[in-house]
Amino acid sequence: MAKSDTPLLDELEGGKWPSFVKDMKQAAEKNPMAKDLMNQLELSYKEKIGHWKHGGIVGVKGYGAGVIGRYSDRPDLFPNVQAFHTMRVNHPTGWFYKTDALRNLCDVWDKHGSGLTNLHGSTGDAILLGTTTDHLQSCFDDLSGAGFDLGGSGSALRTPSACVGPGRCEWACIDSLDVCYNITMSFQDKIHRPMFPYKFKIKVSACPNDCVASIARSDFSVIGTWKGKISIDQKEVAAYAASGLDIQKEVCDLCPTKCMTWNGDELKIYDADCNRCMHCINLMTKALRQGKEKGATILIGGKAPIVEGALLSWVIVPFMKLEPPYEELKDLILRIQDWWDEYGKSRERLGELIKRLGMRVFLRAVGLPAVPQMVKAPRTNPYVFFWPEEIQKEVK
Amino acid sequence: MGVTMSDDLKMQVCELFREKSKGDKKMFYIRDVTRWLPGEDRHAIQEVVKVLLDEEVLKYWSSGSTTYLVLAEFFPKEC
Repeated sequence: MAKSDTPLLDELEGGKWPSFVKDMKQAAEKNPMAKDLMNQLELSYKEKIGHWKHGGIVGVKGYGAGVIGRYSDRPDLFPNVQAFHTMRVNHPTGWFYKTDALRNLCDVWDKHGSGLTNLHGSTGDAILLGTTTDHLQSCFDDLSGAGFDLGGSGSALRTPSACVGPGRCEWACIDSLDVCYNITMSFQDKIHRPMFPYKFKIKVSACPNDCVASIARSDFSVIGTWKGKISIDQKEVAAYAASGLDIQKEVCDLCPTKCMTWNGDELKIYDADCNRCMHCINLMTKALRQGKEKGATILIGGKAPIVEGALLSWVIVPFMKLEPPYEELKDLILRIQDWWDEYGKSRERLGELIKRLGMRVFLRAVGLPAVPQMVKAPRTNPYVFFWPEEIQKEVK
Repeated sequence: MGVTMSDDLKMQVCELFREKSKGDKKMFYIRDVTRWLPGEDRHAIQEVVKVLLDEEVLKYWSSGSTTYLVLAEFFPKEC
């Protein structure tokens, strides 16, 4: 058997899970870029150093985002990846494609790029990996012709993303698909023409299960929720118990606020204490239903650790009715972005700015009242810092 | 938003870019540009920068996570 050129990459194919190496080898059979990519990666593994130079061209006319320049620092060895730019394509909300749309996307990429894709990147976009500078504009033109547009990158509003919501899920409290699409179309300029201090991400989950992990991954999270009592079908609860579900142990004891009791015959929920974790509803889908009045909780400030540490979003609006055209929501987004744009340092995310200047400054600037639901850790840190004039008003 | 662009402001931004680019540093954040003109409306400056980008006097340079602005003549040559 002939000796492999990529013994270290081959190791990755031996594991339990499908490997990207297999895909790269397939692509390498018909595309020299993919072959050089593979060989450069092998060299990186061997030398334990990356061989990419980051940044540069944003080469589509009128756009400042959606293309991420990448260059090899060993073009002498790998001339076909001398330029290997990424294109981020705005995904259809909820990631619903017709097969002909996917075929069109792949045809465009076979024509202009390496043929390698990442569907989908952590941004949510369809990531097209590896093209040359002279193909950027023509690739974009072909993508536009097929009905696609580029997504966000750099110091811009990143492509908003949402869970599949009412498209497939019975727990959807809001139409996450429509909210996301509406926001995307309303803020096109902010996506394509970077003018912010840094990146800004919006993600929409239709229920508190938060399947797009908006609470951890976005500066502005919209999470569907409800008001009112969780409805209980006691017959179905009894059926779950009869089928072997230990309701005390697996439902009540795992409730984070201990707002449920079970006496063997009847399940009771003290809705005022419920914090919408969805655990009981997820476990007893036939027995429990969310309250009837639906809307969304708005949270702010989530981010992964880059300049500073990771932050989870925290509540700024406990309940907002969300109905088209979502003016209240979009107006709030604009007020928040404007404040951040005014006071944020370069490369400072919104959550970091709020931490630096304080929540009360933020609330006053964007015109939101302080409410108890904003207390981030009510049982460990119940302190809210009021403005001095508010304290005096209370004393009187 | 009713931001109107003045030619004066456009010229000012251009001149500042040229002046600030005389040193080693050629790439600037949009935040740098708004700081150069503390008395001017931030939105108006952003609009001017967009026009200068359209006219290809300025160019975007992006690392993928952060975007910079650079005078077209100083845009780094492809490696």
